Amino acid sequence: MSEKFVRAISADEIASGGMKSVEIDGKEIVVCNCGGTFHAVQRRCGHMNAPLEMGTLDGKYLTCPMHCAQFDVESGHAISGPVPPDFGGEIPPPVFGEYLQNVGMLMTHVRTESIRTYVTKLEDGWALVAL
Amino acid sequence: MKNVSMYTLSTCPWCFKTKKFFTERKIKFTYIDYDTAEEDVQKKILEEVDAYGATGFPYVNIGGVIIVGYQPQRYLSALGI
Amino acid sequence: MNGKSRKIALHYFFEKVVRPLGFKFTPDAELMDFLLEQEVVLEGKHGVPFCPCQPLRHDRTRDMRIVCPCIPFHRKHFDAIKRCWCGLFVHTDVLDPDTLPQLSPKEAGLE
Repeated sequence: MSEKFVRAISADEIASGGMKSVEIDGKEIVVCNCGGTFHAVQRRCGHMNAPLEMGTLDGKYLTCPMHCAQFDVESGHAISGPVPPDFGGEIPPPVFGEYLQNVGMLMTHVRTESIRTYVTKLEDGWALVAL
Repeated sequence: MKNVSMYTLSTCPWCFKTKKFFTERKIKFTYIDYDTAEEDVQKKILEEVDAYGATGFPYVNIGGVIIVGYQPQRYLSALGI
Repeated sequence: MNGKSRKIALHYFFEKVVRPLGFKFTPDAELMDFLLEQEVVLEGKHGVPFCPCQPLRHDRTRDMRIVCPCIPFHRKHFDAIKRCWCGLFVHTDVLDPDTLPQLSPKEAGLE
């Protein structure tokens, strides 16, 4: 069975260490340039669906901008869940504090799932993704 | 035979080695794993180790001589072996 | 959460932090693997990779001092014994970590 590769983005559009979101056939994908090696993952965070291309990429580790869940973009594995909010011992004002408690309570039931990866290769200056 | 007691952590490999040291020599000892102990026990342990000035485990007491860290040679000296 | 991948990730992140401090991962691969595994467990439990060989005090200010790599908070002590407390990191010139005893600050002549 041969994979169907599609041109996702021109390789020189993403600097080393950078990411860019593309949409192919209705699929939202983030293409990552990990020091010259390209990887592609689903755009939505496996925690609460935030857009991953707005996060940070360190080597092959992507940190989501919303709650800092972390993913290995090569395998798609979720390697760290969200970081809970912390106020360093300072007590927030009562109403806001209650709000945070409720949100916190809802969030503790949310699991961080691994994200889908797409086989990626470079060809003729293009990053190709197999859908 | 000197009384041997220690405070250890269930996550610390040096604490395993310390327990193994005494077990292999068939020397009886008591221990408390700090991380799995009740809060009030943890508080007492911290008071004791802080008073001594220890910052990490294992914290071993051999007949009143305190040895912090995995130090087999000092265990032998303290035991008089 | 994938523990094995997390271990590899911690190794990647920590390496970059400890190098400028004059430290490297211990050449004792078995010890390194065990300690990183314990840190993954501690991170899973507490949300932060704490040192597996120092006590958690349930006091944020003091507990942050044992978040791995905790070298900056114990610089004098660890430089004197050429290793961090749990032995995950050693000075870059150390070839045989078995020769480095686990000395408290007092025993290292720092108090």
